[in-house]
Amino acid sequence: MIQYVKGIWESRYFWMHLVFSDLRSRWSRSFFGILWAIIQPLGLALMLSVVLGRMFKLDVAEYVPYILSGVLIWSFVISTITGGALAFVQSGPYIKQCRHPLAIYTLRTVIVTLAIEALASVSLICWILVLKPENFGWTWLAILSVYPLLVVVAWPTTTFFAYIGVRFRDVQHLLGLVLQALWFISPIYFRPEMFRNGGLNFLVDYNPVYHLLEIIRAPLLRGEWPTFENYSYCIGLAILGFILAWATGRRAEKRVIYYL
Amino acid sequence: MKADIYLNNINMYYSSSAFRENSIKSFVENLMKRGRCKHEIIDIHALKNISLEIKCGERVGLLGPNGAGKSSFLKMVAGLYPIASGERIVTGTIRALFDLSLGFEPDATGRDNILYRGLLLGMSPKAMREIEGDIIDFADIGEFIDYPIKTYSAGMMVRLAFAISTSIGGDLLLLDEIMGAGDASFREKAKRRISGLIDNAEILVFASHDIGSLTSICQRGVVFHHGEVIFDGDIGPAIEEYKHVNGLI
Repeated sequence: MIQYVKGIWESRYFWMHLVFSDLRSRWSRSFFGILWAIIQPLGLALMLSVVLGRMFKLDVAEYVPYILSGVLIWSFVISTITGGALAFVQSGPYIKQCRHPLAIYTLRTVIVTLAIEALASVSLICWILVLKPENFGWTWLAILSVYPLLVVVAWPTTTFFAYIGVRFRDVQHLLGLVLQALWFISPIYFRPEMFRNGGLNFLVDYNPVYHLLEIIRAPLLRGEWPTFENYSYCIGLAILGFILAWATGRRAEKRVIYYL
Repeated sequence: MKADIYLNNINMYYSSSAFRENSIKSFVENLMKRGRCKHEIIDIHALKNISLEIKCGERVGLLGPNGAGKSSFLKMVAGLYPIASGERIVTGTIRALFDLSLGFEPDATGRDNILYRGLLLGMSPKAMREIEGDIIDFADIGEFIDYPIKTYSAGMMVRLAFAISTSIGGDLLLLDEIMGAGDASFREKAKRRISGLIDNAEILVFASHDIGSLTSICQRGVVFHHGEVIFDGDIGPAIEEYKHVNGLI
């Protein structure tokens, strides 16, 4: 285990290079370039808030940051998990040639996605600062904690799926379906009250996605600290992911090369 | 640290589940075909009971026809493939030259690619900047070094890859059939370069069909046949044995 972590540290120049080259190639030759990271989620959130806001009779100016925070976190979850499931397959040429710890290839996916979401969150923060400046305060420090939290939750989980995904290529498609279902029963675009009014409290209270979203929604949208419960759910999820990844990786790490 | 390779009774398989088709289509096909005789795909026993010791300072040539286990042996020593049974102890940093064109980014310039490939091989950016000049001199592809790799001809690509890979030394050098790179003049240069690299490495294991370079580089020869070592000794007798087994004389 210590040896493994050491390997990740020793290959840091290599995976950091992969991260930067992914980011560079993402926006090369496009006119807006890196701005797309900001425009895309903001545009989606605006469209959704206008439509859903009308449907549910909500104040659009208030609803936009709610949806935008949902879009940011949810697109992070989708891209890391579905992209990460194929991480080993895509890095096949490297794996066949050099013996680096395999977790660096999922770390690459996680960090690239995180960098994009961090950039996109600029629009969310600006929106609140302009339209709801009274929310600004010490509680915003909690927002910073979301970045390491996302890494510790997403990294082991994607590594687990990557081990399985390299053997069973169906996993990626299956995950797409499962995530779609999870999206539908989570307060990502819909407000928690809608679930509670329908007597579906458990879909909010026991839903890790809700708790993860609360880490940024509580300070940004209400000027409050996230609760201890919010953090416990996130850390619990990270530990679960770690155990799954470790248990699978113990046997699978060496065998991955056969399936490439 | 002294480089050392110790292998005791090693068996290695290529798992058949990896290349057997694993889709719903093949599953249904198998159901329909049940009972009918079918060519069965089984695990490939790539290395059989290999016991070898290579000490610091040895230059070992691997001989054998295609599919005899030379490349599998090198990849096993490099630690890329897991072994099914036996003991494998390798000390020292491994530098393996298997696939020269790996790790190139087609849109980046040759100069950038020197850095990228170095990072893949575990170098730091600082160390790579120091040897960048040497690599460019050796590759000798003129102003193309500042052009994207995708504009290169195959020969230029090989030159650059070869220059980079051989600039980064290691204690254990594993070479797999790479002498055939480039045109005649580059080949001469490459040969000199390899011998320089070999002088600096503590252990060299070299798989080749080129009897000439094997005799000039190696003292010890190991002959593979169907995944087994059938001869291990001085290079001269090893070549005789290799020719004898394969009906070349």
